Amino acid sequence: MTIKQSSSHLDGVFHALSDPTRRAILSRLARGEASVAELSAPFDLSQPTISKHLKVLEQAGLIEGGREAQRRPRRLAPNAMKDAHSFIEPFRKQWERRFANLDAHLARMKKDT
Amino acid sequence: MPPHSQTAGSAGMEIDYGTHTIRFVRSFDAPARMVFDAWTQPEQMRCWWDAAGEPLSVCEIDLRPGGRYTFVSPSHPHMPFTGTYLQIAPPDLLVFEAMNSTGRVRFESVGSRTRMTVEIVCGSAEQLEQFLQIGVARGTAQTLDNLVAFIGRKAA
Repeated sequence: MTIKQSSSHLDGVFHALSDPTRRAILSRLARGEASVAELSAPFDLSQPTISKHLKVLEQAGLIEGGREAQRRPRRLAPNAMKDAHSFIEPFRKQWERRFANLDAHLARMKKDT
Repeated sequence: MPPHSQTAGSAGMEIDYGTHTIRFVRSFDAPARMVFDAWTQPEQMRCWWDAAGEPLSVCEIDLRPGGRYTFVSPSHPHMPFTGTYLQIAPPDLLVFEAMNSTGRVRFESVGSRTRMTVEIVCGSAEQLEQFLQIGVARGTAQTLDNLVAFIGRKAA
C-alpha cells in the first residue's frame, strides 16, 4: 500500500462524511439495512436525492447493496470505518504521547515548587 | 431521529465531522495556571511538545495576539510547526492558528485538578483530512525514510 492510494480512498471517505444527510443515513444503517424508500421517509427528501447520497457512500466503500434484488436494501460495509481509523490512529498516538509528556512535565514542576 | 453530528474515534480523541473538529480532553493533577504556563512559556513548552520526548531544538513564543510561535523537533528539523496566537486569556483559554486551522485550548479547574480540552477546528472536511494527514506524516516519519520527500512533494 502506498500513501497515495490510501489518501485518495480516504478523500472519498472524508467527503462522504462531510454531509449531515449522509451521516444520518449511516446512523440509520448502523441499526440495520434499509431500502431507498425506507431511508427517504424520515428525511423529507426525494428518492433520487437519497439515491445520489447513497451513491457517494457506496463509492467511498462505506455501504453496500444487500442481496435481496427486489428491495435493494443498503447496509453498512463491514470494514466501513476501518481504513479511516487506521489512518487516524497514528495522529491520535502522537497526541497521546505529547499529553503523557505534559503530564510528566507538570509532575516535575510541582515537585520543584 | 439520528444525531445531527456524528463523532468517531478511539478513546481519548473525538472527531466531529459536522464541525470538522478534532477534540481531545485530558485531566491533569495540577492547577490551571500551571498547565496554561506549560503551553505558553518557551522553556516549558520545549520540554514536552515533541511526541518522541526530545527537547525542541527551536521553541520561540511571542505571546500576544498576532504574535508568532515556532516549534522544531530535533527529529524533524525541516518540518517546523509555526503559527500565530489569536487569543490569550490566562489561565482559561489559549487560541492559535496552525496550518489554516484553529487550535483552541481550554483549561478548567476541577478541584485541585485541571480539565484541558484541545480542539483543532478545520474549515472544511478537506482541511480536516489534510491536517490528519500531516499529523500522521509527522508521527510516522521516524520509520519512513522517504516521508520528508513526500511532504515536500505535497507542499510543492
